[in-house]
Amino acid sequence: MVVQAKKRELKEAQRRKKQLEERCRQEESIGNAVLTWNNEILPNWETMWCSRKVRDLWWQGIPPSVRGKVWSLAIGNELNITHELFHICLARAKERWRCFSAGGPDVDSEDAGFSAADREASLELIKLDISRTFPNLCIFQQGGPYHDMLHSVLGAYTCYRPDVGYVQGMSFIAAVLILNLDTADAFIAFSNLLNKPCQMAFFRVDHGLMLTYFAAFEVFFEENLPKLFTHFKKNSLTPDIYLIDWIFTLYSKSLPLDLACRIWDVFCRDGEEFLFRTALGILRLFEDILTRMDFIHVAQFLTRLPEDLPADEVFASIAAVQMQSRNKKWAQVLTALQRDSREMEKGSPSLRH
Amino acid sequence: MAKQYDVLFRLLLIGDSGVGKTCLLCRFTDNEFHSSHISTIGVDFKMKTIEVDGIKVRIQIWDTAGQERYQTITKQYYRRAQGIFLVYDISSERSYQHIMKWVSDVDEYAPEGVQKILIGNKADEEQKRQVGREQGQQLAKEYGMDFYETSACTNLNIKESFTRLTELVLQAHRKELDGVRTRASKELALAELEEDESRPEGPVNSSKTCWC
Repeated sequence: MVVQAKKRELKEAQRRKKQLEERCRQEESIGNAVLTWNNEILPNWETMWCSRKVRDLWWQGIPPSVRGKVWSLAIGNELNITHELFHICLARAKERWRCFSAGGPDVDSEDAGFSAADREASLELIKLDISRTFPNLCIFQQGGPYHDMLHSVLGAYTCYRPDVGYVQGMSFIAAVLILNLDTADAFIAFSNLLNKPCQMAFFRVDHGLMLTYFAAFEVFFEENLPKLFTHFKKNSLTPDIYLIDWIFTLYSKSLPLDLACRIWDVFCRDGEEFLFRTALGILRLFEDILTRMDFIHVAQFLTRLPEDLPADEVFASIAAVQMQSRNKKWAQVLTALQRDSREMEKGSPSLRH
Repeated sequence: MAKQYDVLFRLLLIGDSGVGKTCLLCRFTDNEFHSSHISTIGVDFKMKTIEVDGIKVRIQIWDTAGQERYQTITKQYYRRAQGIFLVYDISSERSYQHIMKWVSDVDEYAPEGVQKILIGNKADEEQKRQVGREQGQQLAKEYGMDFYETSACTNLNIKESFTRLTELVLQAHRKELDGVRTRASKELALAELEEDESRPEGPVNSSKTCWC
């Protein structure tokens, strides 16, 4: 018995030693990566960002200390938003908050068509949603350190884009950006990110276009996971059931935050295609158990993914997903489907709602 | 092994953002209450099996996002439901006013014969009340619905309202259910097949019957 206990002790010690070594190795590699990003890549961004070496390093995850900078550069600023513009939009938002909380009439007649009641509803919804954004972190809620920043970014955006306004899901995207960037830069990244075609389609709830995205996704789903695809079809598990939450919040609500940030890393590099590739990676990882579940269990599972998802396994699974279907890439499949749906719309408008 | 359920059907929760749809549901299925919940994006799912009149009923509950913008998406789910909770918040006049709009959406998109029930939630917030109980009763009467004031926080009328809607759905499908009583081995999947419109022939799983 004593011998056995000793053996166990020894084993436990070995395990702990191994763990420690592993952690040291990880820390060392993160340290090295920070140096490479700061000293080599960031100063030579334009020439280096699409090189093989950088792409490989990127896939392994951007170190948190340089993450915000890399995201900003990769998202870009097509909209040419300046810090000044952010402060102007924010000032207008604050003016509006004051107006509504004082119960006074809305004097701003510039963007008529967006009624005062709508705007008030949207301001109230922002307030409500901020308290419901990552409630477990306890940093965005009233009195929390990031509350005002999140409020500012979302408020400024509704003034910058009254045509889009505030849509649920946005608070999660803004929150993740705020965790990695200062407020004005978070606003710039936020506005540019939402301006991408896929995000615009979803946040404006352009249903026809969303269906096209789902159809493109299903092409690659069937190609990569035919067995699971058939199982989903048989059980009426349409992609909207799980993709809406994943795409609207860019996985920040359904995946552990550190893993979600790694998904964002590659999303910033590869664009919308990676969001759908990630979805396939997740389905692939759980293919066996999902195939054995019925509708409600799959729906529950996918809308509440396990909290302890190991990043390495997820990324290995994503890497194994083929984003080519009959020699066509994502963008080509999507364009072809868009063309089809436009033609169908012309031919028989009654078929689509 | 005893079979898990006799009947399967689907209930839907709709109403403005922040009226407490997710909280009602969590109280019902998990007996939990969190004052600060994460927002629902798109649709969320829960399930519970309850026994009504000796029938084991498995209910799938679809919990939808409340923002108006999302309604293009959530309306697509109405047709899959057999029962619908219309929820407002007794401390928000606006959420009560909006019930009319929600009802007209249901009339337009849900299948005929769908059962509805009106819920005035947050009944514990008496000091913030903007909508009187009589107003709720009045509206429910106008639309021919049952009415409950509930509180997910104090667990008021939660089980009662879920059970009531379940009963209503069962009553509405009594004919099919008589079959279940006499042939105990059969399961009735009210929820299963109405969306397989594209499938030419009936149920694949012949041990379950579907009425829709």
